[in-house]
Amino acid sequence: MSSGAPGYNFPRMQITFWGVRGSYPVPGPQTVRYGGQTSCVEVRSSGGGCLILDAGTGLRALGQKLARESGGAAGRYHVLLSHVHWDHIQGLPFFEPAYIPGTTIAVYALLTAADELQQVIGGITRHEFFPVPLDSVPAHFQYHEVEPGVRMTLGEFLVLPIALNHPFGAVGYRIDCDGASVAYVADTAPFTDVLHKQHFLRGLEPLSDADRETLAQIRADLVKAITRCDTVIYDTHFLPDEYKRFPHYGHSTPEHALALCVEAKVRRLVLYHHAPGHSDDLMDQVAKDYAAQGEAVGVEVITSFEGMELDIEGAP
Amino acid sequence: MKVRFWGVRGSFAMSGREFLRYGGNTPCVELQTDDGQRLVIDLGTGATELAKSLMGTALGKGTGELPILLTHTHLDHIQGLPFFTPFFLEGNHISIHGVDPDGTSLEATLQNQLAPHYSPLGGLENLSAHVSIEAFQPGDRLALGPFKIRTAAMPHATMRTTAFRIEADGKVVTFLSDVEYPDPEAPDPQAVALAMGADLLIHDAMHPDDEYDLRRGWGHSPVCAGIAVATAALCKRLALFHHSPDATDDQIDALVASAQAQTSIPLFAAAEGSYVEI
Repeated sequence: MSSGAPGYNFPRMQITFWGVRGSYPVPGPQTVRYGGQTSCVEVRSSGGGCLILDAGTGLRALGQKLARESGGAAGRYHVLLSHVHWDHIQGLPFFEPAYIPGTTIAVYALLTAADELQQVIGGITRHEFFPVPLDSVPAHFQYHEVEPGVRMTLGEFLVLPIALNHPFGAVGYRIDCDGASVAYVADTAPFTDVLHKQHFLRGLEPLSDADRETLAQIRADLVKAITRCDTVIYDTHFLPDEYKRFPHYGHSTPEHALALCVEAKVRRLVLYHHAPGHSDDLMDQVAKDYAAQGEAVGVEVITSFEGMELDIEGAP
Repeated sequence: MKVRFWGVRGSFAMSGREFLRYGGNTPCVELQTDDGQRLVIDLGTGATELAKSLMGTALGKGTGELPILLTHTHLDHIQGLPFFTPFFLEGNHISIHGVDPDGTSLEATLQNQLAPHYSPLGGLENLSAHVSIEAFQPGDRLALGPFKIRTAAMPHATMRTTAFRIEADGKVVTFLSDVEYPDPEAPDPQAVALAMGADLLIHDAMHPDDEYDLRRGWGHSPVCAGIAVATAALCKRLALFHHSPDATDDQIDALVASAQAQTSIPLFAAAEGSYVEI
């Protein structure tokens, strides 16, 4: 019996989705139920420890909640970035704790070029873009480089960065805490059609044998990293017909995610990073279709929406 | 001339039920002459909705032309640029007009927005349309198709923003967003000159008057500032614009009611998707 069964009250991790949308925020009547804000997930340990996965526009509301909870007192926050495309970082200047003196915000990210992380991430608040530079806010920002395959201990959390396949590089994270594990796999393309490097792609380019080997290695490492995770949050931006048109954009479909989760014996897959054009009604259909597809292969599939909270269960 | 609001929200795009009537997208405004020629002001997230509406025009076929004015390059005014579909159709000719930010250029700023760290587009050169970045000096006069434009620099927190007086079809629209005057209750002479006799003044109204003291120096106006300019410049209508991200539909309704009580100039809060015949 799993520790999450009714009647049991074992301590466990909880995650909350603050932004589930990809690319850019989409307000309006079509996104009221699933939400319009971009990538941001809060992970809580049973002891109250907090990790923040990505700093998209969902981070603003999370920051308001954290500042309310702390009563305006200084705190220490860990923000793990998958990569620094705008939809994953543009919430940072609007993160309320950044304006509370004494607060420390430790940002973890992949170094993808010679530029320092502080320059790249701080660069989103150069004066042309935002009136208050991150370097001069009351909170203290720290920048830490992550390396795929090299574990980090952040408070109660054990964190494993995982290489992904996305333009200019991205990392996923496996997080272990309270005897349970959750993985965050965004943003990534599948591992068959494109190997994303550091140049602009107008469309598909031929793969070399070395490219194919690299892709197979990234995929094998990913499967190994997420093996037997209770819950995997995965970039499923595209539906299959959309993927066929844009295979070079760096995103996956629920089919791609489900195949990996089956292979890695994952209990539950969470569809995430919804395309901005996907309306609430379409997402209802997606949720229904893929819940059934998952059931057929023994994986629970749920579709994330803004405000969704999930308990992460320990191994049975 | 017709003005259509595609994004009216300041600073941050807001989704959810409480923002449906006025809309949650960040600034983007379309002007259209009686014979169908267009001018766009700013490329906030509202530009993604504008883009959809343009797909039935020449810009959806790769044979269109479009001039775009930027008030400034704070993110909420350019964050729709990488997703503005007319940029991805070869054959379109799109010009972006704005002032060079201090210490850099307009072109370098937009290049930096699309730099590979931040965007898979990698740079302006990868946009399929023909895109020209045309910097001007504050105070310059521009002629973009049928639109005759006067410009002026306005104070906005740590930078300056550009205000526009736009004439076409014998009508005048003045756009004064992202401005904070040294004294909001005293009509700024430059703003008044730009708005003189305008058929429509679109003005920053981010803060309710009674909350302004808490937010002085943030670069935005209390509602009374737009009323002061509209009154001194004898404007015919006033649109409150750049709504606070925290202002719900009901709060904006209340803001409009209290603003209208201060003046006999007809005023309204700009709402996403709505248009105004000038």
